[in-house]
Amino acid sequence: MRSYAGQRAALAVVQLAVLSILVFVLTALLPGDAADMRFTETLTPEQIAQLRAQLGLDRPALERFTHWFGNVLTGDLGTSLISGGPVLDIVKASVGATLVLTLATLAIVVPLAVALGILMGTRENGRLDRTITSITLALSAIPDFVIAVVLVALFSLKLGWLPATWVGGSLLTNPVLLVLPVAVLLGRTVCLLSRQVRAGTINALHADYVVQARRLGVPRRRLLLRHVLPNAAVPGVQELARTGDTLLGGVLVVEAIFAIPGFATALVDGVETRDVPVVQGLTLVLAVAALLINLGADLVCNRLVPRTELLR
Amino acid sequence: MRARIPLALSALLVLIPLLVAILGPLITIDVKPGLPYEKGGLLGTDGLGRDVFSLLLAGGRTALGMALGAVVIAYLIGGLIGLLAASTRHRWVDEALIRPLDVLLPLPSLLVISVVAVGWRASPLAITLAVAMVNVPTVARLVRAAALDAASGPVVEALRMQRESWIGIHLGYVGRAVLGPVAADIGTRITLAVFLVASVNFLGLGLSPTAPDWAVSVSRNREGLLLQPWAVLAPALLLVSFTLGFNLLADRLVHRTRRLVEAKR
Repeated sequence: MRSYAGQRAALAVVQLAVLSILVFVLTALLPGDAADMRFTETLTPEQIAQLRAQLGLDRPALERFTHWFGNVLTGDLGTSLISGGPVLDIVKASVGATLVLTLATLAIVVPLAVALGILMGTRENGRLDRTITSITLALSAIPDFVIAVVLVALFSLKLGWLPATWVGGSLLTNPVLLVLPVAVLLGRTVCLLSRQVRAGTINALHADYVVQARRLGVPRRRLLLRHVLPNAAVPGVQELARTGDTLLGGVLVVEAIFAIPGFATALVDGVETRDVPVVQGLTLVLAVAALLINLGADLVCNRLVPRTELLR
Repeated sequence: MRARIPLALSALLVLIPLLVAILGPLITIDVKPGLPYEKGGLLGTDGLGRDVFSLLLAGGRTALGMALGAVVIAYLIGGLIGLLAASTRHRWVDEALIRPLDVLLPLPSLLVISVVAVGWRASPLAITLAVAMVNVPTVARLVRAAALDAASGPVVEALRMQRESWIGIHLGYVGRAVLGPVAADIGTRITLAVFLVASVNFLGLGLSPTAPDWAVSVSRNREGLLLQPWAVLAPALLLVSFTLGFNLLADRLVHRTRRLVEAKR
């Protein structure tokens, strides 16, 4: 166990180093920089060149990278080219809404998907299983923005029950704001996850040790909770890490539609104004978060079923 | 297991949007622009007073073409990496091919595509390539796993003893054995690619906001959903029909391969 965790953590460190280079390269390659985007109409080319020198945009990429990376290691993500404030402040200001949105979704998705998955798996090919499978299959084929547009039209514009956009105030003190965004995010993630749990449950139920345990008269409840669930959870947890990607994409779309001032909104703004330090900072934070989720998922899987190998 | 949804229906769900996308741009209908969100004509007008039906015909090429192109490229690159990694006898080659992809896996895909899309001024080629790149790691791993499964079996052993050529073994036998799992994966991957392309366009980071693209149309006309539902629903339905059809086809393939595996045992 310790050696697995050690190896996996070492991989994560390498991933982190490569990711930060990638994030820098990807954003530094963006044609056109903030100096272009801000003042093309009002400034002469000489003034733009001067501004670029002032913002440090004229120095070679390698020098900018070492400077940026050195600062990142000390927790300084740089300064926004547009607002002039520290990127860290932008991260802090926007992380809250996104975190609330994601955690609220996960708090519903995980129990729901596990329950549905086990329900389907224990009734393999029964009527209930086939009905839920068909529904999840169909639902996972609808893009989240289509669900969002239809839900907003129905519940906010037509019926007037729920607010269509974020109107100020905190998501926590005004949970009504969360209902539609979370409903949109639930759709696909529950479907993807519950199908994995179902497959895991079916595999575990057919496994020799479960058949044997059943022969020995282990009660059904104990059989499901102690023998089937840990093994069924492995594909589920792995899928959950991958669902993080789907969820993040969903959060981007949902924040844009409901005008929630979160991470995605800050990111889209940063990309549109070529505010490279902001984009770099936000992308790095997101990539690190995704990396930690993957690391966590692998460690949990190894704990549940300690036979997973790192070097396949 | 009995087929729940007939094959013909799944195929039809895929074919209708596909035909609209391929043949649509060839048909030109001369409709004068009217008022925004009018109900007249076949499907009315959109928020800019343009005819929804002729927009639909023109908007499929980008909505589906970019996604399909991305999946093809992802399979060309990822498939090659996966096959090479699985068929090499040197462990370091395998490691050198697959390890770098492990590092790429946790990169949030919509993020990468958005940055690329905006950076290259919404060029459809750049977006297609970005969608392809985020899919390469998963495709490579899938192909590698499927190929290893086939390459470690007795058939390859026998072929090797018959002095079959390396190319004959790996492209002829292993390559074909990989097709089963690949076919099932392609269905879900196309759905995913359509989603990614559509999301980038919906967010306004991709194609221009006046483009006829289906996802852009949904985004542009969403305020008018109650006034003139078809401006949003028609492109949305075409998109959903395509992804739903592919999901159903992929599901069938998964069941079939699983049955084949069980039959072999």
